[in-house]
Amino acid sequence: MSLLRAVLPGPGRLRGAGIPWSILRSYSSASAKEKAKRNATCERTELLEVLKARVKQLQATNVPEVTVNKVELAPVGNEKYQDPLQKVVARREEGESPARPSSWVQKLKEEMHIQKLKMGQTSPIAASELALEAEVEDKAKDKVKGKAKDKKSLKTPKTKVVAAWSQSHAGSHGVHGKPTVAAVKAGVKVPRRRVLDDKESSQFKILQQTVQSNLECFLFLQQPEEAERFLLMYHRSPAKRKLLNVSAYNVVMRSWARKGRLQRINRLFSMLERAGLRPNLDSYAAALECMGRNPFSTKAIWRFMQQLKHDGFHVDELFQKCLFEEDEKEKVLKAIRMIHPNYELPPAPSSQTCNSSLLQDFYSKEKMLPYPKLDFSAQELRECFQKQLELEMNNTITIESVESSKPLTPQALKARKLLATLRSQWHDSVLQALQKSKHNMSKLKTASKYNVLYPYLCLLPEDEYVGIMLEMLNTLSPQGESLAVLAKELGSKVYNRYITQRKLHSGQLEKLREVYEDYIQLLAKDSQPAKYLPREYWEKLVAEAGFGPSLTLKSCSWSYMLLMRLGMHMLELLVQAVKMPRNILNPRLEPRLIPALYHIYSFRSSWQVGLIKPHPVFSQIMSDAAETMLTFNSSAIPMLCPPVPWTSPNFGAFVLNDTTLMRFVDGAVQHQLLLEQCPLVNLHPVLDALNQLGNCAWKINQPVLDIIISIFNDKGNEKLDIPPPISEAPMPPAAPSNPSSLNKAQKHELLLYKKKAAEMHSLRMDALYKLSIANYVRDKVFWFPHNMDFRGRTYPCPPYFNHLGNDVTRAILLFAEGRPLGPKGLDWLKIHLINLTGLKKNNSLQERLEYANEIMEEILDSADHPLTGRKWWMNTDEPWQALACCMEVAKASRSPDPAAYISHFPVHQDGSCNGLQHYAALGRDLIGAISVNLMPCSVPQDVYSAVARQVEELRKKDAEHGVKIAQVLQGFISRKVVKQTVMTVVYGVTRYGGRLQMEKRLKEIDDFPEEYLWEASHYLVKQVFNGIKEMFSATRDIQNWLTESAKLIAQSGRTVEWVTPLGLPIVQPYYRSKSTVLNCSMQNLSVKSTSSNQKPDTVKQKNAFPPNFIHSLDSTHMMLTALHCLRQGLTFVSVHDCYWTHALTVDVMNEVCRQQFVALHSEKILQDLSEFMLEKYCSPDRETRAPWQKKLMEQLSNVPKTGELDLKNVMDSTYFFS
Amino acid sequence: MLAGRAPPGAAGCCRRLLAATLAAGLRPLLRGPPPCWATARRAAGQWPSPGLRVPEAAEAERLVQQVQQTSVAVRRFIACPRLARTVQRCLQSGASPGSPPVLLECEPGPGVLTRTLLNAGVRVVALESNPAFLPNLQSLENSLDGQLKVIYGDFCRLDPLVTGTLKPPAICSEKLFETMGVAAVPWRADSPVKIFGILPQSKERLRLWRHLFALYECSSIYRYGRAELNVFISEKEYKVLTGKPGNASAYQAITVLFQLGCEIQLLHMEPWSSFLTNSKNGGLAIPKSVRLPNDHLCLVRLTPQQNLFTGGLNPTNSAIFIFMVKQCLAKPKSRLIDRLNSWSLDNSSQLLRELEIPENAQTRNVYPEDYKRLFEALQNTNIFTETWWHDEIFETVRNINL
Repeated sequence: MSLLRAVLPGPGRLRGAGIPWSILRSYSSASAKEKAKRNATCERTELLEVLKARVKQLQATNVPEVTVNKVELAPVGNEKYQDPLQKVVARREEGESPARPSSWVQKLKEEMHIQKLKMGQTSPIAASELALEAEVEDKAKDKVKGKAKDKKSLKTPKTKVVAAWSQSHAGSHGVHGKPTVAAVKAGVKVPRRRVLDDKESSQFKILQQTVQSNLECFLFLQQPEEAERFLLMYHRSPAKRKLLNVSAYNVVMRSWARKGRLQRINRLFSMLERAGLRPNLDSYAAALECMGRNPFSTKAIWRFMQQLKHDGFHVDELFQKCLFEEDEKEKVLKAIRMIHPNYELPPAPSSQTCNSSLLQDFYSKEKMLPYPKLDFSAQELRECFQKQLELEMNNTITIESVESSKPLTPQALKARKLLATLRSQWHDSVLQALQKSKHNMSKLKTASKYNVLYPYLCLLPEDEYVGIMLEMLNTLSPQGESLAVLAKELGSKVYNRYITQRKLHSGQLEKLREVYEDYIQLLAKDSQPAKYLPREYWEKLVAEAGFGPSLTLKSCSWSYMLLMRLGMHMLELLVQAVKMPRNILNPRLEPRLIPALYHIYSFRSSWQVGLIKPHPVFSQIMSDAAETMLTFNSSAIPMLCPPVPWTSPNFGAFVLNDTTLMRFVDGAVQHQLLLEQCPLVNLHPVLDALNQLGNCAWKINQPVLDIIISIFNDKGNEKLDIPPPISEAPMPPAAPSNPSSLNKAQKHELLLYKKKAAEMHSLRMDALYKLSIANYVRDKVFWFPHNMDFRGRTYPCPPYFNHLGNDVTRAILLFAEGRPLGPKGLDWLKIHLINLTGLKKNNSLQERLEYANEIMEEILDSADHPLTGRKWWMNTDEPWQALACCMEVAKASRSPDPAAYISHFPVHQDGSCNGLQHYAALGRDLIGAISVNLMPCSVPQDVYSAVARQVEELRKKDAEHGVKIAQVLQGFISRKVVKQTVMTVVYGVTRYGGRLQMEKRLKEIDDFPEEYLWEASHYLVKQVFNGIKEMFSATRDIQNWLTESAKLIAQSGRTVEWVTPLGLPIVQPYYRSKSTVLNCSMQNLSVKSTSSNQKPDTVKQKNAFPPNFIHSLDSTHMMLTALHCLRQGLTFVSVHDCYWTHALTVDVMNEVCRQQFVALHSEKILQDLSEFMLEKYCSPDRETRAPWQKKLMEQLSNVPKTGELDLKNVMDSTYFFS
Repeated sequence: MLAGRAPPGAAGCCRRLLAATLAAGLRPLLRGPPPCWATARRAAGQWPSPGLRVPEAAEAERLVQQVQQTSVAVRRFIACPRLARTVQRCLQSGASPGSPPVLLECEPGPGVLTRTLLNAGVRVVALESNPAFLPNLQSLENSLDGQLKVIYGDFCRLDPLVTGTLKPPAICSEKLFETMGVAAVPWRADSPVKIFGILPQSKERLRLWRHLFALYECSSIYRYGRAELNVFISEKEYKVLTGKPGNASAYQAITVLFQLGCEIQLLHMEPWSSFLTNSKNGGLAIPKSVRLPNDHLCLVRLTPQQNLFTGGLNPTNSAIFIFMVKQCLAKPKSRLIDRLNSWSLDNSSQLLRELEIPENAQTRNVYPEDYKRLFEALQNTNIFTETWWHDEIFETVRNINL
């Protein structure tokens, strides 16, 4: 014992004579376990005996032998480079403290290490985890195994001793400074086995998904041997076998079936049986396909058919449910016809019709109108499709940026040349690095060493991987980007290209093209009108072509972890491989290669983020070169042909690009699952609405675009929201020669400058992307395919340029289709113009029109001389849209017959405080309804002013009663102060958040006494809430009811789910996040994972329910309006609660919008919600005895009472949407 | 290093006392030691004991409860006279003749320790942030002849970085030191002032970082010389500060920097339960710790090293040094050489050889002194002057300070 004490450093010595490295290493592993072993003192004495014996035994070992052993053992540590380290340590020891008999301790330590690793290995689960974890550990283990065999004699002491030793170290390190007996608290640490019995655990699911996608890679690569080897690796280990399900076996069967190898399939069938699994339809399809490929005896086919029936399947089901690729279907059919020569394919299932009461009219065949035609011939549309297809086949597109019109400087030319040289070098070095890493991985074939990433690096041609990596270099901002973001980007790019490849290889694209060419008939002007919706027409065509469900790709998406891992691997290769000479910009420096990218940590108070930054020299070259080509993913460009209609949650939008019906946050799979479980017919209304929005054709407003580009390429204009270039940024404070000599104020100034510059850069880039894409499609007609978020709010898929953008982007968009203005069209254009200015908000439509006529001269001047005239348009709320509208008004009013003037201009109608409108309608709040324009009034009502008035009254009362703060606030309560809070009440703002908003507003008022800020904001938010409560009494009740219900549901461990009146299932994706650490050599990444079995985040579930529910209602209202506008033949698009149509049809749209609002709220929305949730969360078969269950039931059944409002009034309210 | 051991059952004793007083009602308190003792000390340059009555634990507790409503954050107080005496002895231990003449006591609260210190003849400046405690302390101040000075201020909000006028209890060190009557001394001189406080556990690590930055920049209290800090910190933080290279959970960037920057002495360990808190439910609010023991508060003496600014390190470039250490230890299992290489250094292996640091060393196995030597060596290369370090360093400094 005393020996041991001598070796261990006293806590006070920092360095002393040098502590052996290895001791420190194991020392750490010991102390970490210190806490876990506090009890169990009974074994103490026994252990002490063993320890003493062990010490004696070890002391007896002579030194030379130990030294040899040490070197031999060196690589045992978890990293290969420990070896030289050990040697150095040994040298240090000898030199500095030769007398110290430390080597045996060290040996013991290492032995302990071995033991631990061995223990790890005996746990089979640990090994299976390694499918995802770093392979490095595997290597270590194997080495240990090898070495340990030779050392049987030393290994005899049991694990217990080792554990005890570690304990004694820990103890000595602690407070008391003495490794007393008491410190050697026994407690053998059994390696914690993670039980995977729970098949629901998220870890398990991720692993299962990874196995599946791995097997699919092999299928794609046509490597059945590899697939089988991989499968066997799991099948043979009893623990790992749990990860395999039928579909894993099926994938292997399919890859053998393609080769026609029946014995292999037979073998897999028997493996299935041994694993206790039952073959499913896909298994039989694979077997039959195989037999269709190779003429086998009909007996074998009989046998399989027999078994198929025995398992309770029907032959027809094969063709109704299986997703076939390539010629699989034909082969299966061939096999079946070998024994049933007259077998006919089952008829396509008759399509069902949605029976929602809201859409009875819409779906009734009698009232159906032919689908509106586009202004294109079939031939033209075919060409459009071809262009779109080419675009998507290339995955990316490189376009000229709008900056390209600027002249080139000699400096730029030089920099571009330099970049070209560097890039070709980088291409080679990255390719080499990739090949090398693949080569290294390919050598690891045994189960334990297997690298999961290998197949994923084989899916695409190597050049594509290199291309993806080098692309990243071009877009990296000088400020750098976090590793996690980059890794995800790289990983998903590979995934997307793989999916494209699969669609090409599986013949899915050919089938799609065939259907699409026929689908064009529905839209082309030179074909027969057809009374179908796009989705119905598409389904009909698919059925006629006999493709069945096989148009959908049978695909298993890659898990988020896998994407990250793949991305990290590529990032590591990139950072290692991309180097450049240091002296490029400064020839005086000595020439040597430095990395062009570097990895650095950025520290944010208590956490750290890894960043990848370009070297300043590289950034400098990039900025000098001022390259004008931009590369985008093909899905960033609007579609050049009408989108593929959504027919299922997995199919629609782009031709090749993978798009999901519902957007979701990273790693969340709940929505997709829910949608897949939902009967497809329930989704029809939503799919049809999305198709309707996506089918709107657009074009560019070229004159406006040209003006914007000219300002953009000049110096920008912050007031007009055109971001200026970086060169326009304020000059940085005097360049510091020695930055550490700066004083605090200077540092602060410099920091502000950097922040400003970074901000400007990102704004500028955003605008550059938008304008460049717009410029690229300036002569084309294009479409925005739509999808939605989890509440059903719809969004266009292309991310940069779309009609949801800011004023600038909205101003350059026009409907491709033109309609005459009609009798009232010009008036609507004028009213729309005044709406855009933000003036005359509280005036009637007539007054706005009159005002427009009054200032006609200004309008015409703006239209004719936008940059040189009086610039009236610049001082409006939405200047660019106002300018565009001025031009339209000018053109229309100057045309000989304004009513016949063909206008492409979208006119908007906005819901006034749409969230509160829905609340007021839900609660039938009379006063509230008036204030949000649900009731007819001669002038528009303004809810913010109404609340401000209410608050002012309450304040007056309080002031009279001598409340100090109410007196202080005299004269400060205005519409502006309360607006934000009122607006956000709908979205569930809390008192806390509301107070902060108030404080901000009050701070903006110059003469408000600062010392009262807190008290005043506190008082105000209370009064605003009271004011709203009085006006919207039922609204508050409903909000509280929703919140409370969500709270109880979340507390019972479930997530809040509901179904919109249109039948869209919704689940709130808020879970207590759990992060998994991804071990990568560059940096450990903590990846947040969500999965359905995780506990819900009660706070978020509860706070977000009311706003999400209201959003699901407003999206429903929008979709209903969209569908019914379609029936009226209107062009319709929406930006959430802002609806767009032609000037001609504004009145019709308004009517439809009001009708649908009334229809929607005439449904028993809250009752339905209550019933749905009661059934979902309080079904009688669950134990109803629990008190929480009763409480929940009571809460859910207790639907809040509503007020007296007669909804029909909405029909006559002019300012409901205006 | 004085590896102190907690006196057995200090907490238990407090509780017993408390129980006894509660049961028997308050007994008349004893006066301090006889005056002859005081004269003896006065001769040694100390104040005579004023013989103050030190309130019993229960009394202090009542006092704290009275002001509870006015404070938000959890504070800990020394309420037990016995603990106060222990602390007082610790503070005076190892005092050389040249030891600082004044002790700054932060957040005295009910003043149990203050009285104990005064009785022991120490000149005390009390810095209290809660106005509710001030009247009591001020009347004590008035009853004495300059031995106690009370200042309204918050040590945790000393020299805040935000610009604009300081709103009390935020306070600037200039004013504080002026009031204390302490003048700046050169770095190598003895420490000009002794400071005692209990570090609040909310954002404890950040507060330690702030001190570290002040120390390395010679700003704030360290502008006046090597101020000696005696603070109660949680045991887990103590373990981190004194972590040894290679220790996976304890050896961190802050460890390296503190061990280089200060001499770290453990004066005393006291269970959490010995302290009185102002929490409403009477809970102890002990921060959780998973991997490190955390059963005590540790009284630690942090004396800045005399030789800190030798070699290439000086207050102006120290931010770079701090940043370098943080970069290295962000992933403690990574190899030092990989880190160096990622900073565009091509001769890193030669550099390490010259420094006799094993080429394959993981960053968590490198000694604090070696980091300093590495920094000194790196200063001769141009990596710190090549632009990209600066932005990051600014960011880091700013993030820590705000």
